[in-house]
Amino acid sequence: MRAMRRYEAEPRRPGARPRAVRVAAVAAFAAFGAMFVLTPAHAADPSKVIRHVFPAAETGFDPAGVQDLYSATIEQMLFETLLTYDYLARPAKLVPLTAEAMPVVTDGGKTYTVRIRKGIHFIDDPVFKGRKRELTAVDYAYSLKRLVDPKLRSPWAWLIEGKIVGLDEVAEAAKASGNFDYDAKVAGIETPDRYTLRIRLKEPDYNLPYILAHEPTSAVAREVIEAYRDVGGRAMANPVGTGAYKLKQWVRSSKIILEANPDFRGFTWDFKSDDPDDQPLIAAMKGKKMPQAGRIEVSIIEEDQARLLAFQNGELDLMDLGGPLAPNVLDGGKLKPEFVKKGVKLSRIVDPALSYVYWNLQDPIVGGLTKDKIALRRAMAMAYNVDDEVRVVRNGQAIEAHYPIPPGVVGHDPKHRSSLKFDPAAANQLLDAVGYKKGPDGWRNLPDGKPFTIRYASRPDSLGRQLDELWKKALDSISVRMEVQKDKFPELLKLERQCKLMMRTASWIADYPDADNFMQLLYGKNIGQNNNGCAKIPEYDKLYEQTTRMPPSPERDRLYHEMTRLIEVYAPWRLDVLTYRNMLVSPRVQGYKKHPILHAEWQFVDIGKPVAGVPRAAGGKAVPD
Amino acid sequence: MGAYIVRRLWQMVPTMLGVVLLVFFLFNWVGGDPAYVLAGKISNQEQIDNIRRQLGVDQPYWVQLGIFLKQIVTADFGASWSTNERVSHIMMTRLGPSLTVLVPLLFLTTLISIGLALAVAYVRGSFTDRMVMIVCTVGLSISILVYIIVFQYVFAYKLGWFPVQGWGDSFVENLFVYAALPILIALVVSIAPNLRLYRTFVLDEINQDYVRTARAKGVSENRIMWIHVLRNASIPIITFLMAELPGLLLGSFLIERFFSIPGIGREVILAVERSDFPVIKAITVYVAFATIATNLLADLTYKAVDPRVQLK
Repeated sequence: MRAMRRYEAEPRRPGARPRAVRVAAVAAFAAFGAMFVLTPAHAADPSKVIRHVFPAAETGFDPAGVQDLYSATIEQMLFETLLTYDYLARPAKLVPLTAEAMPVVTDGGKTYTVRIRKGIHFIDDPVFKGRKRELTAVDYAYSLKRLVDPKLRSPWAWLIEGKIVGLDEVAEAAKASGNFDYDAKVAGIETPDRYTLRIRLKEPDYNLPYILAHEPTSAVAREVIEAYRDVGGRAMANPVGTGAYKLKQWVRSSKIILEANPDFRGFTWDFKSDDPDDQPLIAAMKGKKMPQAGRIEVSIIEEDQARLLAFQNGELDLMDLGGPLAPNVLDGGKLKPEFVKKGVKLSRIVDPALSYVYWNLQDPIVGGLTKDKIALRRAMAMAYNVDDEVRVVRNGQAIEAHYPIPPGVVGHDPKHRSSLKFDPAAANQLLDAVGYKKGPDGWRNLPDGKPFTIRYASRPDSLGRQLDELWKKALDSISVRMEVQKDKFPELLKLERQCKLMMRTASWIADYPDADNFMQLLYGKNIGQNNNGCAKIPEYDKLYEQTTRMPPSPERDRLYHEMTRLIEVYAPWRLDVLTYRNMLVSPRVQGYKKHPILHAEWQFVDIGKPVAGVPRAAGGKAVPD
Repeated sequence: MGAYIVRRLWQMVPTMLGVVLLVFFLFNWVGGDPAYVLAGKISNQEQIDNIRRQLGVDQPYWVQLGIFLKQIVTADFGASWSTNERVSHIMMTRLGPSLTVLVPLLFLTTLISIGLALAVAYVRGSFTDRMVMIVCTVGLSISILVYIIVFQYVFAYKLGWFPVQGWGDSFVENLFVYAALPILIALVVSIAPNLRLYRTFVLDEINQDYVRTARAKGVSENRIMWIHVLRNASIPIITFLMAELPGLLLGSFLIERFFSIPGIGREVILAVERSDFPVIKAITVYVAFATIATNLLADLTYKAVDPRVQLK
């Protein structure tokens, strides 16, 4: 609905550089050709095992049905999207996966045509009755339709809802009848032949290629879903895909074992990078047939200590360190000497995610666009010391965010510095100037003399409690009363969507690495969805609507700069922090580099074999090759 | 006896109803609306309403309560809201790992605690008795979290006697490899309070006239302690043990979380974190039922142990 509203508000402008997009698509394909060279068979060695850990349980493996990171990580290994990301290119760059080439864009950015590679097969399954089942365009068409099937209640409906010609009508009919007609003709999803998928959009959308690289749009076979689906229409426990791996064993919330897909086409490692730090990795991996690992073992270990001890004990090869454990392993941004001595490596990136504090612009105390309300929000923003949060709450594993588009996302500007800086003295002066005078009790009152209290909402967990304290300290420093509103996460979401929270620290992680995914968070028409501060700033909305009709370009970036300045001026947000992701890599692993968008890199790395005689499941020690 | 059992079974109904009402209203009061989480990052009110409709949380409370009662009667709690896994499958698959840890633990704790209680009660007031009680008091004062963290670090990581965490595919491997350290920790934690309690029960008996009479008649000390005293002390011990039994259904969530054991305790925590009401409902009802059933079983066992006990 978000996108539909966006396009309703601004009529489309036809002829938006189809030629440029076509040229870009051809160039991207050429680059891809140099990286992903097809090999006749996969090279996975069953004795090479990667042991990974998740800090939280997965939920299932239906691309349209799950929304948690850990299920999605496994899905990326089991299923394939039309497009994916180059392993080493930064910022993240799209390349074809099951597509022959990047989509051909015509009709002013409204029609995307993708050719699918021939000869890709789903893993064998009894549903296929002993026959090899080839991946075709119809599978992608089916998978896209599933996202808007009301019965499925997919959390990813928003990816295509309101965008594809004729699809919403079929979804509406399904709401009335109770059954989604997958055979109904959808004008915007066509398969003119077995290997061609044509998507026609209501309005140009330059983010569609990113959506085609997002795991909810992975191909599933209709007969598999129909055979294994539950009452909700999801096939959570029977993943049958075309990916590099297949599910061998699944003990829910405990252990996931993947085995190399013997029918996977494989590829030769030939990625390129200008980054000097990547050159040893390239030298070690170039020319290898991939994937190398024949087996992936994923353990779910919720407790920090158990996870770290398991890694140190040689029971794990890859581990996301997480903030609370950082002081045990890192000295600033580097590994402590004892870990370096053991040959452990660190792959560290700033996540494509943003943490921010929002104020509800519809709230009678902090909302509105009048001078006094803007001053109050700006003063609160200036009273908050992000450095304290980085040091105390984030254990040094974060940096202050200055731009609403995080690193690794198209549109990010590393040079931009926010004009809203920590300056409690200036914040006090500002409040004095606009009439928030102190009363006899020492607390400030509204310009009309009435007392007021800021309610900061947070979750009842340790992070929430620490942030409560920092914000209390900040608002005390400008003599503004604050109380904490505690609620469970679902309740906070509910109140937020109803514009009933006054302020809260929220975060957003990139669904796809484009600025739009972040800048839409303040778009007025997204109130009630993901505009959690219920902000409606006409100047911002006007600029945002312009950006949605533009492909990534310096011109679009200029508009994003203007929008960022509006955020600083009107202060609907206080940009908070960007967090580091620290991946610990055992000495056995070769070629690992954390990708900002891909959830797992298992198919791109090599791994030493375990020491003979040491049982794998018992966490036997292993040595590099 | 038969009439007594039937009467007790009838008495279960109002108790269970009380539990059902408590769980239902507590969840609806503090549980939060799961639709907002299940709807995903970007969703509109129509999608949220659709989810609420599918979950049935848009129905009036009395309708939801009726569905809950029907689920109890049919023992069909439907599917998990977050994973769509059948609740019955969750219970069946998670119970095994929990019992693998808790049954040997209950068995060992009971045997060791009773043996030690008899021994220290026999030498009551001696240096040994005092030292054992001091150790028990110190042991009681330390949180299980400390035991887990220290034992996991020392015995699993530093000494390498056990795996740090994990769970295998075979019962034997799980019992002797993965469950060994968790059982050891739980044993250390549970022996101290049990020993103190059982010692008190034994001391209550050891001063009775029948013990003096037995000694006067020349009965051996072993026979007095293991047959006469233990039999009479067993009624409060049985009461205590029966109260522990429903805990087998809940597992030991801390142990299971720290050692990545896919048991029912870990599932309870997950269900609470995810506001997964069908799972919470099922586990609560089963635990309540088990508690009532074990109470009845305890009463019947009293009669078997001591024929003087009258069931009315």
